Amino acid sequence: MLRFDATQLLLRYAADYPIVSNLGPTTDELWHAGHRDRNFYTYGNMGLCSSIALGMALSTDQPVISLDGDGSLLMNLGAIASIGREQPPNLIVVVWDNEQWGQTGHQASHTAFGTDLEKVAQSCNIPQTATVDNLEDLSAVFQNALQTPGPWFIVAKITEGEYLPVAPIEPEMTLYRFRESFGVSGV
Amino acid sequence: MPWNDIIVQGLKNWDTSLIAYVPDVSIDRVTSLIAADPYFHLVSATREEEAVGIAVGAYATGRNAAVFMQSSGFGNSVNAIASLCIPARTPIPIFLNLRGGPGEFNIAQVPMGRAVRPILDTLGLVHFTLEDEHNMDKIVDGAIKLCHANRQPVAICLTQLLHGGKLA
Repeated sequence: MLRFDATQLLLRYAADYPIVSNLGPTTDELWHAGHRDRNFYTYGNMGLCSSIALGMALSTDQPVISLDGDGSLLMNLGAIASIGREQPPNLIVVVWDNEQWGQTGHQASHTAFGTDLEKVAQSCNIPQTATVDNLEDLSAVFQNALQTPGPWFIVAKITEGEYLPVAPIEPEMTLYRFRESFGVSGV
Repeated sequence: MPWNDIIVQGLKNWDTSLIAYVPDVSIDRVTSLIAADPYFHLVSATREEEAVGIAVGAYATGRNAAVFMQSSGFGNSVNAIASLCIPARTPIPIFLNLRGGPGEFNIAQVPMGRAVRPILDTLGLVHFTLEDEHNMDKIVDGAIKLCHANRQPVAICLTQLLHGGKLA
């Protein structure tokens, strides 16, 4: 399963729900799959994707989707514990797990050596979890996640493809567009 | 009004209802008030940079947020502030228990505590240091106002001279 194909699939069901994307290819591919005001692209702050999504989920009733990565989440495993503590029913974390740090030279990550992020989530009291490795299963579990209270933690095993061009993203404008979409002043 | 009540009131004045924090024994005199007040949602983070991310997420959806941490934990959060808050221009007030000043007893708290304000200066962020309650209501209220006007974090450093610090 390629991350870009999976991202396009999720966008078909995500309506205008907020999506936070992890830095690097996840953000680039979300932009190429479908730029929208409710995309909160990150381009730094490695490890904070799902923490940002948690703050959103505690501040809106809408479903909030985090597109995280295994390498980034390993940097901030405490985020999973905080999600388990807060239990936001509207938070859906999707971890693109390619078992590597792709952008830094494809070094193997800890998930290639037995770290099971779904089990980590389960041990942090996250009630709805899944691991999928194909588009059909991802489609089914994601649609279920949009209908069933969470928090959800979905590990999506992916293979690394060719990188798309870097998305023309400016953090200040991302925040401006995102806030305006919630009816508050962008500034 | 005691210093901890002044901070709570300042947060309310600026409609700041989500507070993300990592516990600290002196900061607890504020966060325990926040925890008991239904106006606030107090989120316990496992690490200070996580608290910054949670606060930014809240702000992105239109809810004002602040973070509380100790100066040692500020060191953990520098990249989150530098690579998220500053480029995106997020006005997050940062309340710090500033260790390493008069009355400090722990050698391990001194280097990071003394480095906090130079780091803030290097990042170009405004900070205020409070050593007593004189004019504190105006400083806290004004710091949060400045934070939103400038759309950048502002640090409010709370010293052992203000809150009595941690006893050895």
